[in-house]
Amino acid sequence: MTDSEVIIKILSGDRDKFRVLVEKYQSMVFRTCIGFLHDKDDADDLTQDIFLQAYQSLNGFKGEASFSTWLYRIAVNASLNKVRKKTGHPVFQRIDSFLQSAKGKEVFPPVSDTDNPESILIRQENSKWVQNALDSLPENQRTAIVLSKYDDLSQKEIADILNTTEGAIEALIQRAKANLRVKLSYSYKKIKKHRRKNISFVSNHKNELK
Amino acid sequence: MNCQLCQKKLDAYREGILSDDMRTQVKAHLKLCAECGESYRIQLLADSVVNDEKMIIPDNDLTSRIMARLENSTETGYRNISPFRKVLKPALIITSLAAAIFAGVLIGNIYKPSVRELSQPLELALIDDVAIESVDILSNQ
Ligand SMILES: [Zn+2]
Repeated sequence: MTDSEVIIKILSGDRDKFRVLVEKYQSMVFRTCIGFLHDKDDADDLTQDIFLQAYQSLNGFKGEASFSTWLYRIAVNASLNKVRKKTGHPVFQRIDSFLQSAKGKEVFPPVSDTDNPESILIRQENSKWVQNALDSLPENQRTAIVLSKYDDLSQKEIADILNTTEGAIEALIQRAKANLRVKLSYSYKKIKKHRRKNISFVSNHKNELK
Repeated sequence: MNCQLCQKKLDAYREGILSDDMRTQVKAHLKLCAECGESYRIQLLADSVVNDEKMIIPDNDLTSRIMARLENSTETGYRNISPFRKVLKPALIITSLAAAIFAGVLIGNIYKPSVRELSQPLELALIDDVAIESVDILSNQ
């Protein structure tokens, strides 16, 4: 059964058929949410909201784009709205506050027992500064990066979702990548300085700890 | 190869889509140039963070939870308002408003005396109005 056939059934009252669409597209929506939110629980909540929203707007689906394109649009809009609500601080302020608190939420899959606490911390730190650099991109660049890096979509597919031309997306992704490079190396230098400070702190206090 | 060109080619180098000649040139530059070498390692690290995140998968029961929310949701109707609802909704609002005003007037009439009495403080209720001199008399003095 094609997506359109499923949608016709749902619209004519067979609500349970919506399960078919959820099963088919939940991983896709979830991945987009992860790309924007970097947190499993948040992505899970938002994925639910997105499918509920999709169900409620289903009779607005005209079949001009594919269902996945239409769903991606809802997912991107919902993710951007969520992100706007979540963040009120400029990114580098957030990096600083992260460095001070150094308690990032667990965003990785469970780590193996062989990982020592230091390497876990470094891994979490790494993920945090990379995420911060991604999150600090302007919304359109960030969206293009999420759709291309997390969802592995082609420029043509991204152009369809964002309702623009492939050429515009190509230029957008190039700008986003260049921008990201600058932000990454800025954050990396900051974090390296912070780590050096910590290492010297530990070595200075090694004797006290013995 | 200069740094600017190397930086420009790094994405394609990581993705393995450079020509053999260009790949050799980039590789040679990365070995010699500390700055570009660091930039390359940073990008590899960023790739690995993104790949780690992509490995996070939703819990098995996500579909069931979405369907359960759909069942329980009070908003399971479609959001687009039908022409029928477009007419019905304002009519319903006007009717409820009229009913509320009518009920208000009715209740107001039924409870008028008791409401007045209750709204009067106890000390005032006990004062004998007749014994009080008229304000008119005082003003005439
Ligand atoms: Zn260089």
